[in-house]
Amino acid sequence: MPSPAVLAQGLVKRFGALEAVKGVDFEVPRGRVFGFLGPNGAGKTTTMRMVYGLSPRTAGRLEVLGMDVDARGREIRARLGVVPQESNLDADMTARENLIVFGRFFDVTGARLRDRVDEMLAYVQLTEKAHERVNELSGGMKRRLHIARALLNDPELLILDEPTTGLDPQSRSLLWEQIREMRRAGKTVILTTHYMDEAEKLSDDLLVMDEGRIIERGTPKVLIERHVGREALELTMERSEDARLISRLAPMHAERVGDELRLFGDDGDKLLEDVHRAGVSPREHRVRRATLEDVFLKLTGRRLND
Amino acid sequence: MRAPRHSRLVGYLAGYAMDAKLAFRVWQRELTLYRRIWPSTILSTLFDPILYLLAMGFGVGAYITDQIEGVSYLQFIAPGLVAASVMYAAAYEAAWNSYVRIFHERSYEAMMTTPANLEDVVAGEVMWGATRSLIYSIVMLGVLAGFGLVRSPWALLIPLVSFLGGSMFMILGLSYTVRMRHMDQITFLFTLGVTPMFLFSGVFFPIAGLPAWVQTVAWASPLYHLVETVRALAFGTIDIAVLGHLAWMAGLTLLLWGLPALVLRRRLRG
Repeated sequence: MPSPAVLAQGLVKRFGALEAVKGVDFEVPRGRVFGFLGPNGAGKTTTMRMVYGLSPRTAGRLEVLGMDVDARGREIRARLGVVPQESNLDADMTARENLIVFGRFFDVTGARLRDRVDEMLAYVQLTEKAHERVNELSGGMKRRLHIARALLNDPELLILDEPTTGLDPQSRSLLWEQIREMRRAGKTVILTTHYMDEAEKLSDDLLVMDEGRIIERGTPKVLIERHVGREALELTMERSEDARLISRLAPMHAERVGDELRLFGDDGDKLLEDVHRAGVSPREHRVRRATLEDVFLKLTGRRLND
Repeated sequence: MRAPRHSRLVGYLAGYAMDAKLAFRVWQRELTLYRRIWPSTILSTLFDPILYLLAMGFGVGAYITDQIEGVSYLQFIAPGLVAASVMYAAAYEAAWNSYVRIFHERSYEAMMTTPANLEDVVAGEVMWGATRSLIYSIVMLGVLAGFGLVRSPWALLIPLVSFLGGSMFMILGLSYTVRMRHMDQITFLFTLGVTPMFLFSGVFFPIAGLPAWVQTVAWASPLYHLVETVRALAFGTIDIAVLGHLAWMAGLTLLLWGLPALVLRRRLRG
């Protein structure tokens, strides 16, 4: 059996007195899209930086592609692609030069490198912008160029740290499609995000981090069903009936957001019937699918972008 | 860290464990960038020494009728200005360019997602700074030759020595830059480091005739050793002292080689 893409046991990262990652265990299986969720400051980016070897761990075990990160960093990085949270492209070079310069670090040169670069530019739809300087590209194009750069060495493991933050909807959906394609090609993708819809649509597995710990893990579907059930019933109504309604209906989860009471369970219509049966008539009501966002709010008491 | 007591020493020594091929890739990357910007940077960096040559050499020099070490004042300062241009080239590279690369563009981190380690990146950048110094020394020599100020075939070795001098100034500059918290601090590198060296390292007046303590201070200045070496090559007055100057520069470069990576490794860990 091949080793997992990433194996972490008791992984700790301390910055002086601050413990950013507090002893986490996880395993990223190969060939899947694995999501790391959590609010800002949860420890996702720090964990990623340890995985790709920029930030040495304080304690614990950390193996990537079956190799110890400290001992065999160069070998690991030769088979890794990284898209960092903040752009670190060479702003004064053209798109194409960025890729040429980067590709040489993987010991690919000459005609082989040029072919590979052109192939990657075409893949991220930047062929026409090949000779423009990075400074002149839009945010979405820069992110795509980053993806192309990370794929130059045909990596087995791709790490995307908040790849769609700040992107327009078109660039976002193009990127999503590319992530799906990478999985079809058998690559392992690790994705950190604070967009719930993104995590839900893309990840096979995910884990939720908060304050340096892993607080939950599983597939999106399992997490939703475990914590909030399949559906949400949103009721626009006065606060005064909340307590009575919740104790009588016993939904899987309930929360009050402004003038709206949300009740969660596997069957939204059934919940609505019970509301009427309890003699409450809300001004408006709406049944929708429960999402990962609901799970996250329940687990952390916060919205992700807070 | 797991080995707190030894980690600094280990981190410093790790700075010497570079991979030559990956360092070359870093150098190549700089060359690609340089091809876009060289005309403007060469001109701006060379204006200074050429203006000094004109003002001091032709201006002040007109009033200095005595010979200095057997040559005219203009001939005396010309090789010193070649050495100074080597220092300026490396200092600008280490201060402005490296600061922007490390802390704004984060290109060191980008390169460190490839098989390259930090020590490879630092080595490549130092070699690049030294290459720029070499290029500037060649241009300066050309200018001086035009004025008829190069007098010995030994002068052909000046670009090589400039490469060594450039490495030394690059390592010195980087050792400062990696500690900077704000771009304004670049000013101190120039007002407290580069400018005093420029004025008191034997570029404009010979150190030999001054009191012993001044000579001791000058001996501590890295630029002094480069000035003396370049001048000896330009005049063909090679003696054993030149070997001493070369050893001094090579020694300082080697001693400080591990320092930028040691400091930077801790700063990039976040």
